[in-house]
Amino acid sequence: MPKWGMAVDLDTCTGCGACVTACHAENNISTVGPEQAARGRAKHWLRVERYWEGEFPDVRLKFRPVMCQQCDAAPCEPVCPTYASHHTEEGLNAQVYNRCIGTRYCANACPYNTRFFDFFNPAWDKPLQLQLNPDVSLREVGVMEKCTFCVQRIKATQIQAAAESREIKDGDIQTACAQSCPSKALVFGDLSDPESHVSRLARSGRGSKLLEDLGTFPNVNYLNRQVEA
Amino acid sequence: MSHPTGDRMTQDLLRPLLHTSWRFWALVAFFGAIVLMGLGSVARTMVLGYGLTGIRWPNYWGFYITSFVFWIGISHAGTLISAILRLVNAGWRRPVTRCAEVITAFALMIGALFPIIHLGRPWYALWLAPYPSERLIWPNFRSPLVWDFFAINTYLTGSLLFLILPIIPDFAVVRDHSTGLRHKIYRALALGWRGTPKQWHRLETAMSIMAVAIVPVAVSVHTIVSFDFSMAPVPMWQSTIFGPYFVAGAIFSGIGGLIIAMAVLRKLLHLEAYLHPVHFENLGKLMLVMALLWGYFVFNERLVTYYGNGPSEMAVFWRTQRETFAPLYYTMVLCNFVLPLIILGIKKFRTITGCVIASFGVVIGMWLERFLIIAPSLGHKYLPYSYGIYRPTGIEIMVASSTFAAMCLLYVLFAKVVPIISIWEMKAGEHPSPDLMPQALEEHPLGELHL
Amino acid sequence: MKAVYALFPNGQSAQEGVNRLRGAGLADRDITILSSQPMEDFEFGHIDKKNYMWWLACGGALVGMASAYGLTVLTETSWPINVGALPVYAWWPNLIIIFELTLLGAILTTVVTLLITASLPGRGERLYDPAVTHGQILVGVENPASESVAAYETALGAAPGAVVKKI
Repeated sequence: MPKWGMAVDLDTCTGCGACVTACHAENNISTVGPEQAARGRAKHWLRVERYWEGEFPDVRLKFRPVMCQQCDAAPCEPVCPTYASHHTEEGLNAQVYNRCIGTRYCANACPYNTRFFDFFNPAWDKPLQLQLNPDVSLREVGVMEKCTFCVQRIKATQIQAAAESREIKDGDIQTACAQSCPSKALVFGDLSDPESHVSRLARSGRGSKLLEDLGTFPNVNYLNRQVEA
Repeated sequence: MSHPTGDRMTQDLLRPLLHTSWRFWALVAFFGAIVLMGLGSVARTMVLGYGLTGIRWPNYWGFYITSFVFWIGISHAGTLISAILRLVNAGWRRPVTRCAEVITAFALMIGALFPIIHLGRPWYALWLAPYPSERLIWPNFRSPLVWDFFAINTYLTGSLLFLILPIIPDFAVVRDHSTGLRHKIYRALALGWRGTPKQWHRLETAMSIMAVAIVPVAVSVHTIVSFDFSMAPVPMWQSTIFGPYFVAGAIFSGIGGLIIAMAVLRKLLHLEAYLHPVHFENLGKLMLVMALLWGYFVFNERLVTYYGNGPSEMAVFWRTQRETFAPLYYTMVLCNFVLPLIILGIKKFRTITGCVIASFGVVIGMWLERFLIIAPSLGHKYLPYSYGIYRPTGIEIMVASSTFAAMCLLYVLFAKVVPIISIWEMKAGEHPSPDLMPQALEEHPLGELHL
Repeated sequence: MKAVYALFPNGQSAQEGVNRLRGAGLADRDITILSSQPMEDFEFGHIDKKNYMWWLACGGALVGMASAYGLTVLTETSWPINVGALPVYAWWPNLIIIFELTLLGAILTTVVTLLITASLPGRGERLYDPAVTHGQILVGVENPASESVAAYETALGAAPGAVVKKI
């Protein structure tokens, strides 16, 4: 049984935001317009957090792409009254849009603030609706949505591999963000396979987890920047 | 404690039912208009989208949940006065018991609407109920929101029954004092009540059982509402003190609401002979105790957080003590602690007017307390990039205000159809001279049972 | 004759009336006493007191507890879903559901018991006089045997303040 996880190399991340755009395109996430975005309604399933360090002129920028950490002990799961947020056997935190009644408790419980609410029905200016991904459902107003580790790509590859009676190799499944990262900072793979790229990165000495002391057991490993000599 | 007795009392307490002035219609129209505007706001949100509210990332709960917790808190008035004072045989509870039970019933109904209104898809609220659905899924019993569903429904059922059962003998009184259509309606409502010793005894036993049952339910309801917060890993929400803190706050705000309701009724329905200053004084003393208890819990919560010195918790702590929310925080402390202690602690100020002023302070302060639990914490969790400020929109302000109008409207309508002071309980409180002792029962044969 | 009764202005005279009717040979359950408040301070207010309401309420609580346990255990084990690494049958949160339904069972049982034992809603024509809610206490006999009517009337009339009526 695979256990999906990601590794994010904070050293190679340039903060370009290609991953964010790719995620929007892959998962049919609508933009909300400048006014609503200013009111905090933007739905960036994956966002690049930008922090400034130091005083001018020794200022440095740090980028941290944050998406749903698919926690093993996710605090968003026990609080959902309709089991819309639950854990799959492959280690993903699944969000079932059809069960969601929009209590938004899961979003309050998420320490990473990676869960988003649909405040309005999504809308795309013509002809952008032609670009929508048919593998991903559109969410109506009132449901919660979040990063799924591109579960549609996982499922599609698994079905294809089963149909062709072959095993899935490391690198066969790529999330949209990992696929579009120009510096290969985002890596997706099977954490239960010790030889996969993501497992090896997780075992490296640079790996750490975000907000680990909260007891959420997240599955995204952040590789710290190399210390300069 | 002296009050008019016999027929005079019955006439006084039935007068609001049998005579209607233009003031009744004016109040109904005024409060009804505000309630309709509130309902209209809710409908607008359902049709045009939830984005019309001020909810945003990461403040996903705001005025609606504040109102929810506030009204469930107010509903603890009835349980305290009716059930606990009934259990300890406090005679002074008799004139106030129905006023209190009415507040409980209506506050619960209003509060219980909010878990439906605040949903993103309220038309699926039924999924919170455990029924064998065609989707082959049941509610998640591990979720505090499902506990809310069970607890609030149990408490609502219990409170409504606790309110309605002792009204039956009073419906019989109205039945016998009215004619025409009113007589027919109250005859149906009185369920054929006659007043045999067996009926009285069964009624009083039922009330005793329900009083014993409703107190743990009330404690559990607001504890479960507090679990809506303490089960999430949010700074300053994950506090083990939330259960007792919320229950104490609920009883506190409930007494405040009750004092205001009693004062208004006393004035508008001319019940000066029945609601004496001593009733307000006694409730004022209870409210003083609750104010001290509230202060104790707040001190506990804050001191422990301060010593714990967790970075995220301290950031939220300073938000209320020093930064954005400091004005609201100190207003809350003034309204909930300083004002009640001064007014209710000094006997000279503990008049009806004084108690009412303190109660208004308590109601405002407790509403602020609920808001200050939600907004500072949600806007300032762990990752600085995702901090946010919550600003309510007109829709939320309208809905929150219309709940107060709804409470007043329901109260006015209730006082028009049911005697607001329990006639039979007042009569039962008058005791004849003590030299009449009950004689032995064994000598008299019971006879056949007639049903 | 449907009933013979008297209206008394206070509890003492009503008690006298009741005692005289007992002297005329009536058992307690055959005497109808109606008042607008519970007359606990007088002996006649304690007639027919024995009941099992507390036991029935406890029984209702047990039924509620069993239903809640059944609901949680059957639904959670039939459709096991992993949420937040909690166990499939999570004891602590289910105790809350069990607690609430236990008390709801006790409350509902009490109400049903009250409605049944107090004969609410009242069926059929029973003896009643609206003077009761004006403060009078009614003591009388329903469907009296025709040969005893005179004896009852005398018994009732002998108590002070009685107003005897027949219907």
